[in-house]
Amino acid sequence: MIRFNNVSKVYPNGTRALNKVNIDIQKGEFVFIVGASGAGKSTFLKLIMKEEEPTSGSIIVNDTNITEMKRRKVPYLRRTMGIVFQDFRLIDKMTVFDNVAFAMRVIGARPKAVKKRVHYILGLVGLKDKAQSRPAELSGGEQQRVSLARALVNNPSLIIADEPTGNIDPEMSFEIIELLNEINKQGTTIIVVTHEHELVHKFKNRVIEIQGGEIMSDTGAPTEKADVKIEIAEEELAEIPEEIAEEIPDVSSEELNREALAAIEDEEAAEE
Amino acid sequence: MRGLGYLIKEGVRSVWNNRMMSAASIGVLVSCLLITGAAMLLSMNVTSVVEEIGKDNQITVFLKEDIDDLEAIQKIGPELRKVDNVAEVEFYSKEQAINEYRSELGTLFSELQGVENPLPNAFHLTMVDLSQYETTVKDIRAVEGVDIISDRSDVAKRLTDLNRLVTQVGLWLVAALGIISLFIISNSVRMTMYSRRFEISIMKSVGATNHFVRIPFVIEGVVLGLISGIISSIVIAFLYEAMVSAVKYIVPVTEIPYSELAPRMTVGFIGFGMIIGAIGALISIGRYLNMEGGEILGW
Ligand SMILES: Nc1ncnc2c1ncn2[C@@H]1O[C@H](COP(=O)(O)OP(=O)(O)O)[C@@H](O)[C@H]1O
Ligand SMILES: [Mg+2]
Repeated sequence: MIRFNNVSKVYPNGTRALNKVNIDIQKGEFVFIVGASGAGKSTFLKLIMKEEEPTSGSIIVNDTNITEMKRRKVPYLRRTMGIVFQDFRLIDKMTVFDNVAFAMRVIGARPKAVKKRVHYILGLVGLKDKAQSRPAELSGGEQQRVSLARALVNNPSLIIADEPTGNIDPEMSFEIIELLNEINKQGTTIIVVTHEHELVHKFKNRVIEIQGGEIMSDTGAPTEKADVKIEIAEEELAEIPEEIAEEIPDVSSEELNREALAAIEDEEAAEE
Repeated sequence: MRGLGYLIKEGVRSVWNNRMMSAASIGVLVSCLLITGAAMLLSMNVTSVVEEIGKDNQITVFLKEDIDDLEAIQKIGPELRKVDNVAEVEFYSKEQAINEYRSELGTLFSELQGVENPLPNAFHLTMVDLSQYETTVKDIRAVEGVDIISDRSDVAKRLTDLNRLVTQVGLWLVAALGIISLFIISNSVRMTMYSRRFEISIMKSVGATNHFVRIPFVIEGVVLGLISGIISSIVIAFLYEAMVSAVKYIVPVTEIPYSELAPRMTVGFIGFGMIIGAIGALISIGRYLNMEGGEILGW
């Protein structure tokens, strides 16, 4: 799914954020990236979503060498991933529903598909009742779930979360990771950056530690999945999808991927 | 393209959300369009008047009083014909002139009976191109035996000069105001983009194409241009009446009726406004499209 080959990143000001990093993350894995502030964790994520370019080395995402990827194809790469930020990055003047719908609208989804899909995803993260609320009216944990819903709404095969629990209290943090774990069980690859060691230890996932831009340790994929769970969270998650099973979205990841490919081909055809 | 409805709604909405700046942009663009339009209307009218007058752009060349014998006169004719830009030359004797006076003045003329004919011999001639009036007149003056030149095309000549002035000043004004309009519209759109940089960064992170990010802002510019075009089309109709009476005060001419010009002006205003709007918007957009995530937000 993701492979870093001898990747180094030196920022224009001379800061060496990553140094000859080699990482291999398989499809369906759940990986924690840990390390002190300034270790290079965010840089690692930015390279995956092609927000930054590596200074040397190559990066493969979904069997594509993204280091050589053309600029205009980058949007289609990003459609295959959902991104969650520490500061939620929700639009204050939009409702919860519109914040999530935004991610679909700006890639040209049909209004009917948007409506179905957003309701489904809000149910999945347990925010069905908050659809018409504004972000400011929600707790930190709820806001992060909206942000997660937005990351999920286009049915990505990869979720990238940069310190998703950095701004919320520990109990809520646990719920968020638990939710990500559930999503991971459906086959979505998940990469979570965090420096909360306690949280990491509660889940038996692969942990990669970065220090000073280099890989310090890598537990590798665990042979056995974590069985630590919060009862309440599990109940919630178990119930909701059934409730709305009827409204299961008509936007499958296959359809989206096909559309993305078609769009790329259209553009290529137009260029010639 | 899919999602166009959403994009148009977004573009129109930001005109309203950004209304102070929108009003300023529309104000400047309307002024630009009106001045351009006024210059064009003036020019069109002057041209039509000049054409009308130009149809009998005859001037009269009076000969010196002492030239009275046929031989001398017959020499001058071909000389005049040789002058550049002279089309037709026709002799007009002092007898013909006095006879014309006689018939015009009728009985009054009897008072003048017996007085020696005081009129000089003359030539009537026409020019090919009225705009070269001055040079031609100078050349005619240089011909031996020519005394004074009188003409009825003086008004036409002045109008031609005016037309040239209007066209020149108009062009400069249009260029200057066009640039100001572009600047202010691109500024307006830039402000919208700045106030929406957060949304733009999210759009990019969820995989919106640059095309998609761009469209609402272009639409905002086009809508500003459209509104300006419509306002200008209405205002110019009233302005035209005022202009016509002002011009009529100076020169008694018949204007082109506005109904004849209205379709052209309206289409021109709206088209020009929308193009300026779109270009103005595109100027601002490039900067944002080349940035990523935190860069857009200035972090
Ligand atoms: N855009 C940038 N320009 C220059 N230096 C940067 C930039 N982004 C990050 N850095 C530097 O690179 C190093 C790694 O940063 P980052 O990847 O954000 O670390 P982490 O997320 O682990 O805290 C830090 O020293 C940071 O100051
Ligand atoms: Mg970081």
